Amino acid sequence: MSTELTMTLEVFRYHPETDSEPRFQAYEVPYDEDWVVLDALNWIKDHVDGSLTHRWSCRMGVCGSCGMMVNGDPKLTCAVFLKDYYPRPIKVEPLVNFPVERDLVVSLDGFMDKLEAVKPYIIRGDVNDTSGGEYLQSPAELAQYKQYSMCINCMLCYAACPVAGHEDEFLGPAALALGHRYNKDSRDQGQAERLDVMLVGEAIWGCTFVGECTVVCPKHVDPAGAIQQAKAVGAQEFFKRFVAPKGAGV
Amino acid sequence: MKRSDEAFWWALFSAGGVMAALFVPAFVLVTGFLLPAGGDAAVAAERTARFAAAVGWWPVKLALLGVLALSFVHCGHRIRHTLMDLGLRRFSGLLKVPCYGGALAATVWAAMLLWRI
Repeated sequence: MSTELTMTLEVFRYHPETDSEPRFQAYEVPYDEDWVVLDALNWIKDHVDGSLTHRWSCRMGVCGSCGMMVNGDPKLTCAVFLKDYYPRPIKVEPLVNFPVERDLVVSLDGFMDKLEAVKPYIIRGDVNDTSGGEYLQSPAELAQYKQYSMCINCMLCYAACPVAGHEDEFLGPAALALGHRYNKDSRDQGQAERLDVMLVGEAIWGCTFVGECTVVCPKHVDPAGAIQQAKAVGAQEFFKRFVAPKGAGV
Repeated sequence: MKRSDEAFWWALFSAGGVMAALFVPAFVLVTGFLLPAGGDAAVAAERTARFAAAVGWWPVKLALLGVLALSFVHCGHRIRHTLMDLGLRRFSGLLKVPCYGGALAATVWAAMLLWRI
């Protein structure tokens, strides 16, 4: 440690087996300008309080595990530096809009269900037939979906979205953007199946284009844009019913 | 599960958004600033009369009514979704009546005004 400076982390604590309600616990951590918030949390766990529970893995903004609320904003804690807050205290909380399991760990169940629902994989009838060689794709076809494929499922967009917080039917930014990503993939044939999931109830229509999902995305995906494009596809499909008979394969 | 009819309302909302964003600022610019520009009341009156004559041509009236009708639906849809966000989500179906009904009423009113020009 190159310095004796310290700063305060106010950390959300909740152990359901002993705590009747959540509380905040303040920790003094060494201040190092190279440290990210995740380094400070790991230091607390290693040196002060082994019971602190949080998720992390890669420490380089790839795995999407360490998303938390940092001073009220959804952030990857591996990508947000102490020096951006020093000397003010930093408040660390679990991602909002998710049930808390323990301390900074939230339940992924609802999110995983929504992700699975949009079938985020290539669907085609001839998937086992390799006689024709690879499925070729031009750079222009790749550009149609590439940015949406950068999603790391960190769920920051769900914590930023006001609709995800109060509408259970809403599939949410990441799941809808991934559904749209496969619909736009020239190798895919599953759009109709996905739209049957995306266009019901409030699944996609709950979105009112607040746009915070795109603002907070650490991978520069534009889920808000994907959702608007997918809504436009949904509207086209709606009107196509009146010009083409069902099953005509338009 | 049946696909939602929200696609229909969203399509009108979307079209109305484009109309409102493209044309309404132009209308404000023309009627609010360009027609009275210069400060000469007689010149402004002459310009306004010529503008009104152009608006009186039926294809222009029809185009104006289209822009206004879609803009009203855009407005009604946004109000409906704002009310849903404010806690009336379970009344989303019922809210269609005042919101889109209001847009329809405003469209009829605009049609009557245009008819009289």
